[in-house]
Amino acid sequence: MNSFFKEYFDRTIFFAVLGLMCVGLLSIYSATFDAYEGRDFFRQLQWAVLGLFAMLSMMLLPLRWLQRSALPIFFASLGLLILVLVMGRRVYGSQSWLGIAGLGIQPSEFVKITTMLAVASFLSKSDVKATDLNDLIKASLIVALPIILIMLQPDFGTALTFLAMFIPVLYWAGASKFLVIIIIAPAIIATASIIGTTPFLIALILLGVGLWMLRRENQFIASLVFGTNVVIGFLVQMIYNKLPAYQQKRIATFLDPNNDPLGAGYNVIQAKVAIGSGGLFGKGFLKGTQTQLNFIPKQWTDFIFCVPGEEFGFFGGVVVLGLFAIILFHGIRLASITKNKFGSLIAIGFSSLLAFHIFVNIGMSVGLMPVIGIPLPFLSYGGSSLISYMMIAGLLMNVYANRKEY
Amino acid sequence: MDEFGSSERRVVIKIVIAAGFLILFGRLFQLQYIYGDLYGKEAEANSIRNVSKIPIRGYIYDRKGKLLVENQPAYTVMLTPIDFDTTKIKFLSKILGMASEEIIARIKQAKKYNSFVPARIKRDISFAELSLIEEYKDKLRGVEIQMESKRHYASAARGSHMFGYAKEISDAQLEKNKNYYQPGDLIGNAGLEAKYEEYLRGEKGWEFISQNAKGQIIGTFDNGKHDIPPEAGLDLHLAIDGDVQAMAESLLADKRGAVVAIDPRNGGVIALVSKPDYDLATFSGVTPPDEWHALNNDPDKPLFNRATLTRYPPGSTFKMLLALEALEKGIIDENWKVTCPGYFRYGNKTFDCEHVHGTVNVVDAIHKSCNVFFYQLMLKVGLDNWAEMGRELGFGRLTKIDIKEEDTGLLPDRDYYDRVHGKGKWTQGYLISLGIGQGEVGVSPVQMANYAAILANKGHAFQPHIVNSIYTKYSKNKIDVKSDEHTIKLSDHTWDLVREGMRRAVMEPHGTGTAARIPGIQVAGKTGTAQNPHGKSHAWFMGFAPYEDPKIAICVLVENAGYGGAFAAPIAGLCMEKYLYGEIIRYNRIKLSGEVRPIAVN
Repeated sequence: MNSFFKEYFDRTIFFAVLGLMCVGLLSIYSATFDAYEGRDFFRQLQWAVLGLFAMLSMMLLPLRWLQRSALPIFFASLGLLILVLVMGRRVYGSQSWLGIAGLGIQPSEFVKITTMLAVASFLSKSDVKATDLNDLIKASLIVALPIILIMLQPDFGTALTFLAMFIPVLYWAGASKFLVIIIIAPAIIATASIIGTTPFLIALILLGVGLWMLRRENQFIASLVFGTNVVIGFLVQMIYNKLPAYQQKRIATFLDPNNDPLGAGYNVIQAKVAIGSGGLFGKGFLKGTQTQLNFIPKQWTDFIFCVPGEEFGFFGGVVVLGLFAIILFHGIRLASITKNKFGSLIAIGFSSLLAFHIFVNIGMSVGLMPVIGIPLPFLSYGGSSLISYMMIAGLLMNVYANRKEY
Repeated sequence: MDEFGSSERRVVIKIVIAAGFLILFGRLFQLQYIYGDLYGKEAEANSIRNVSKIPIRGYIYDRKGKLLVENQPAYTVMLTPIDFDTTKIKFLSKILGMASEEIIARIKQAKKYNSFVPARIKRDISFAELSLIEEYKDKLRGVEIQMESKRHYASAARGSHMFGYAKEISDAQLEKNKNYYQPGDLIGNAGLEAKYEEYLRGEKGWEFISQNAKGQIIGTFDNGKHDIPPEAGLDLHLAIDGDVQAMAESLLADKRGAVVAIDPRNGGVIALVSKPDYDLATFSGVTPPDEWHALNNDPDKPLFNRATLTRYPPGSTFKMLLALEALEKGIIDENWKVTCPGYFRYGNKTFDCEHVHGTVNVVDAIHKSCNVFFYQLMLKVGLDNWAEMGRELGFGRLTKIDIKEEDTGLLPDRDYYDRVHGKGKWTQGYLISLGIGQGEVGVSPVQMANYAAILANKGHAFQPHIVNSIYTKYSKNKIDVKSDEHTIKLSDHTWDLVREGMRRAVMEPHGTGTAARIPGIQVAGKTGTAQNPHGKSHAWFMGFAPYEDPKIAICVLVENAGYGGAFAAPIAGLCMEKYLYGEIIRYNRIKLSGEVRPIAVN
């Protein structure tokens, strides 16, 4: 029995997720207890229990069946997204919630999973090759559909997570490195050119080095790509400079919230003070003054990391980072040891998705990233997000259980 | 070559993820360990609040650059609710001479906003109050003194109704302007202070302060690096001539009335006076409730701006309006004559004239102010034509002068009479008195001055404006106040005849406005005496000077004084003289016999 358990039950992920969930529940308790007499905490506790069931059922689903039915499930989930656009309710300026029997659910969280399964199912077909341009375009179309629907809500942050998940999957599936550079370079160059001339030049040099290292590829196309990116950089800078001052300010504030200490920057300054004041060991559970005086808006959703940062200090923060690191590196290891392509691809895809959420969300709380409203997996308050990440954890465990099957 | 999941690619992905964790780890180390001291010792148990910094309100200058309104330091008592011992309310109320209930109400309102932030309890305290607060500082924890500024009126011109005042924002105003104002802020409430509030107030600054877990203020956050300094308000540069304004005010002392003078070349308001007025200094700090009550209940209504809100019949000053319409429409020409026996009979009613004028044409009739001529002319011209010309000349609607307190007045027309008397129930007889500016018609001095300016300009009309431009010494941007203009197209011949009548009314014997004469300058004008069932007639004078090249148009109204020629015209003459010469020269014989040259007024 014990060896059977060892063989099929992924204890690494299970316990890491359980640990993170506990940190999240404690943080939500601390941040909201006095305000609503624990209403939010108990609600999240219910979601957590439901999430555990979701995780276990995802683990037990036959992987082959998932692979076969991924596309129909994907299209059904797109239907949900369309339903949101037609009759969803607005929260924080975007229409991403669907009311079902009095509960609000956010379908975009679940569509991430179905999209990933559909892409993995498509790329793992024996006649599909990631090096073939036609197949690449078909795979991109699968991802483009939900992105378009989510941009219509509009929810920019969530749409971005689809790309963060898709590009590593393409890379893993064997698409040429050259192609990956072509896809991501313009976004990086454009951002750098808005920040300033020096970052722009550094980004250009990096691009040049990257292209030079791949010089086996077509040199003409390489120079074309380089040239196009130079033009994009200058063009973006030119357009930016022509924008009215208030729009420039909005973009600049988005890229560096410190520019606007009253608006978006207010949260970031407060978050930094909260985390910084935690020091090495933190102020102790329920003793964080920033948390208790409710200085940080939305601190139990997007800025949840401030709570362990303040109340448990540097060591608390490192424990959270460590648990996440365990899950991510374990996910990458799973992708390598799994014998079937489908499992390998979903392991990479979900690991990338988690990594993006972790880096952007925590990066935002410590003032390194723009304020993009995406939740911190397993910690942030919210049923849809918690359950969807538990399902992702369950799918990773499923890959572990089936790692030896071809 | 299938590179699916190659080990090289695995390493790349691992490196990217490891780099991400390393950066976050490093950042946490930096924030919580290296800066842990900064955030830790100083910011331990710390939180930040933003506190607004009130900018300096813009100054007001006259057309010659003379300072009219500036700011002066004032001391305000501030109270931080969380620190204050409420058993000391009685003590504080004794020191400040304020009712305990008022202090309690202010603390309550402050608590609603934020208990940690000091709130204003009393503005502009006296030196005695200031010393008492300092003396009992130990007993009054949470009470402090803050230096603020209040308005100071730097020149002899009082300008009460024109300048207006800024007052502490009311709850209703706060509800409408939530994104800028906070409780206790000043907001312009009348006159220029209200109209140009957005320019005068400047932009608030913000200071970020650190406070500890108990909410006590420790100091500035991050050395004030994030603070936004306040931007001082912009200065108003007026068309007003401070000296003329002050003189007009003194000439109306102890009277009820108004003076409005306009530069006909651009619509700039040279003087705007309403009397009786009130001392703006009363409003610059705190207005004691009893003083406010007294001002509000004074039967002479000192708060009422007579220059722009009055609605009195214009009297004979309206004769030009009728003459313009009749001449332009060709209803009469300059040779059309009426014989005045001293009265006019219509039906069974008799309408009076002041004198027996004999046979007069239109120029004579304006010159001598013959009523009979205009009674008859009104019947020829008719209500519709008359009302149309009245509207063209700016009556019955706002002049859109740049203060909010303005009334349209009343210019009766066919609709009005149908509404008031019923369709077909009014006769031509109702109109006869309109011909001499009596009856239902009501005008304000600013409308009348505007009318004088249009006559001075032969039809070119400007929207009157008190403010010329808005800027500060330090800012490069100069905002010029835009003034609408349009031309009332009548023939030069029409204008010449009417203006000649006005010139004669002042300059020739038997004119009614001879008291408005100025040494060495040709003045044109017209008196008006508006009959009034409640007492003596209201005295009007409107006119302009110099006749050949008008630089000032003026209207004077003195309530319940008597004849316009006797009571309003002399005031108008003195004001125009002051403006054109820069001083009153009429008693200076030496200058009179020598070369007299009007000083250049631009």
